[in-house]
Amino acid sequence: MIALIRLGIFGLIGLTVLYFLVSWYSRSVRRERLEGWADEKIAEGELEQAARDAYIEDGMRDYDASLRKKLILGVYVVPIIAVTVVIYVTNFM
Amino acid sequence: MRYVKWTFWLLVLTVVFGFLHYTLPQRDIVRIVNTYEERQDLTDWTRLFWSVPDDQSTSLSNRDVQFIQAVKANGKTMVYRNEDTGWGWPPYFKFDTANLYTEANDAKSTKANPEWVAIRHYGWRNEFLSIFPNAVGIKPVAGPDVRLIPWGNIVILGGVALFFLFLWRLWAQFRERAIDPLLEDAGETWDAVDERADRARGRFRGWLDSWRGKPRR
Repeated sequence: MIALIRLGIFGLIGLTVLYFLVSWYSRSVRRERLEGWADEKIAEGELEQAARDAYIEDGMRDYDASLRKKLILGVYVVPIIAVTVVIYVTNFM
Repeated sequence: MRYVKWTFWLLVLTVVFGFLHYTLPQRDIVRIVNTYEERQDLTDWTRLFWSVPDDQSTSLSNRDVQFIQAVKANGKTMVYRNEDTGWGWPPYFKFDTANLYTEANDAKSTKANPEWVAIRHYGWRNEFLSIFPNAVGIKPVAGPDVRLIPWGNIVILGGVALFFLFLWRLWAQFRERAIDPLLEDAGETWDAVDERADRARGRFRGWLDSWRGKPRR
């Protein structure tokens, strides 16, 4: 029983660290892409230089509401499914 | 110095390979000939090659362990231990030791009329250390020459590779977005300090020169 609790606690800590790393990475990549798009639009004359920051912040707000961001919660879901599958395969197949 | 570096990396590589080779599942096609149970002393450092099936087992100095004796198609012998891994390491989550023991007993066969099984296991057999691989699963197979594709290992190693690929991309992104701008800032600040120092030195030099009757620039 204690072993299960230990696995749960350390697993939760490890996965939480991974969750924050993946979220940071995903946000950073998105921001970089938005900066690229903004610069393209400015070059084509569709966007004012002064509106660049607003364009990027707008894009980040869209990202915060997106499905892609919620999918990062899969960091918690996938290992739980994997452990369940391993338990089934090892003991009941 | 170069040899130190090589030795270091060779050592790291050996440890990583050894760890994976010990932990990842492998399958042997064998004929089970017998099973037995034997009391094992678990007080020296080779304790780490035995399972910790439950918490009280850490305080025991010895306990009974089940073994499965098998013979490979080439006549070589192999002995497996049969222990729960429980919720501990390695993460096989094996709780069905008693069931596996029953299956093993059910699959016994003779040399004259062999019944081949694939035993999934992890760990090493070493005669000097008296350590045994832990059997995790038994599956009947058609014959000793069946080709088994290690899907489990493909998935696990693929996952490990993906994880390191992610860490590498993460580091690259972090450097590009967080460290490089900082260094640039630091570089600019340093340039400004340098310039101010140069100007101050220029003024000081000018003041000194004014004592020697040179005109100020």
